[in-house]
Amino acid sequence: MIEVELTGSEWLERATALKDEGWWLADLCGLDRLHLGFDERFGIVVQLLHRERKERQTIHVAASGEPPTVPSITSLWSGANFFEREAYDLLGIHFEGHPNLDRILMPDDWVGHPLRKDYGVGKVPVDWIPQPVLQIGAPGQSPKGDEAAVRLDHLGQVIDEGGAP
Amino acid sequence: MSVTSDRLIEKVEADGQGAYVEYYDETEEHMVINMGPVHPSTHGVLRLLLELDGETVVKCLPIIGYLHTGMEKECEDQTWRAAVTIVTRMDYLGCFFNEQVYSLAVEDLLGIEVPPRGRYIRTLMAEMNRLSSHLVWFGTQGLDMGAMSAMFYGFREREVIIDFYEMVTGLRMNNGYFMPGGVWEDLPDGWEKAARSIVALLPVRIKEYEDLLSENPVFLERTKGIGVITQEEVLALGATGPIARATGVDWDLRRDMPYDAYDKVSFAVPLANEGDVYARYRVRMAEMRESVKILEQLIDQMPDGDFKNMDPKITHPPRQEMNRSMEAVIHHFKLSTQGYTVPAGESYAAVESPRGELGAYAVSDGGTSPYRLHVREPSFVNLQSLGPMARGGLVADLIASIASVDPIMGGVDR
Repeated sequence: MIEVELTGSEWLERATALKDEGWWLADLCGLDRLHLGFDERFGIVVQLLHRERKERQTIHVAASGEPPTVPSITSLWSGANFFEREAYDLLGIHFEGHPNLDRILMPDDWVGHPLRKDYGVGKVPVDWIPQPVLQIGAPGQSPKGDEAAVRLDHLGQVIDEGGAP
Repeated sequence: MSVTSDRLIEKVEADGQGAYVEYYDETEEHMVINMGPVHPSTHGVLRLLLELDGETVVKCLPIIGYLHTGMEKECEDQTWRAAVTIVTRMDYLGCFFNEQVYSLAVEDLLGIEVPPRGRYIRTLMAEMNRLSSHLVWFGTQGLDMGAMSAMFYGFREREVIIDFYEMVTGLRMNNGYFMPGGVWEDLPDGWEKAARSIVALLPVRIKEYEDLLSENPVFLERTKGIGVITQEEVLALGATGPIARATGVDWDLRRDMPYDAYDKVSFAVPLANEGDVYARYRVRMAEMRESVKILEQLIDQMPDGDFKNMDPKITHPPRQEMNRSMEAVIHHFKLSTQGYTVPAGESYAAVESPRGELGAYAVSDGGTSPYRLHVREPSFVNLQSLGPMARGGLVADLIASIASVDPIMGGVDR
């Protein structure tokens, strides 16, 4: 299916050369190849466009290691910033040298990476936090029911929030 | 100890001061405030973290994800045909473009052709969609600049186009009308009259809009030289569509890498060089005129014949056929319950949506549902250009810039 696959270090060199040739970054996304029979489970797929030649090309880069890591290309195309954050958020691929590798679409305290193939679809409990019931009492008395505020991750385990307010 | 602008925003984030944070840094006299996520002029649930020096924007950081519903993941559980109904909900003002780009990517994997009439119908609906999407942009751009009547006029003409969608597809939005192989139903009787009335109406109304805003001194004051972005920044950030064309990037996928029936029509690609809000306004207004020209040619040239690929393994057989043929019934049953399989492989297709390059990357493992579907949303990428546009301007100018980027949060967050 995929003809050429680069390793992380080859990718940075190749990207620099391609940029000098006039290629422009059109798209970058992560891919979980769990069922596709690859040595490395994770990879990124990059779509490049050459405006003068009116050509496109697709490049696959393997993300090796634990956590899976590839070098960031934000230094070449600053627009890669959002793409790489999305791949990190949804697939857990780390980008070395990225200025601000945060979750971008999911909430900051989310556990797991939803686009992974072994992510439990349908096993995620809907994230309703029971609201504290306001007890009418003396002024200044704190409302009760805080012990009900428990959050579960996608496997049903209780997340220890360390004394969240 | 002075706090640099990056660290100031980081500190606010780390303190977790929530959505109403107002942070004041005494050493540099900078202030960090939140705009959004619920703010009338951020076009949906867009949150901007602004660092201000008085009223001047020092740094603008878009924070997104408030509308994320995991559509790409949802598609992995659908058949290839049913995923159309999910992708159409991504960019909800450009429904047909989402369907079109997904269909092109799947057709590439399947290796099937769409008959000429199917290609023309798709192009016709896509150009109508460009008009209706730009009309919403016109309305909101005007509204954000204080011209409330622009909103009324823009939505009035959009309604006419939406009525045409309803006539053709049965739905006003999220139509699910295109599919891999063509479109699911032929154009209804009387479509030509309705389409021609839109083609006759729009140039008159576009002229009215231009009379309203193009030389309006208040509008010029608020848009000329405001929200400037250079061509280098646009190319580095990957911004496409009217934002890129307003800085002189002469690139339009419809002309340069034609798909569907765009190689059969002639049209111009409007360009500007200033890169400010007014240049983007001019480019979009000119694009609307060109869309009307394309529509005229498409209606004149509309060929007869099949509107979809008639391969019974891919598309449902005609209803009459099922009364006569057992095979047709079997095909219908298999397609409805299991769906068709797509050969293993990957493909990337891209179309020119009203906001820029809309791409779809589809991977198949040979099964009946997508193994992975990634959509390159132009709004998502274009949003990054808000930083350079806002830098050094006033907060009021930022409102003009947001409207001119025309982000659709359904597409940004998917």
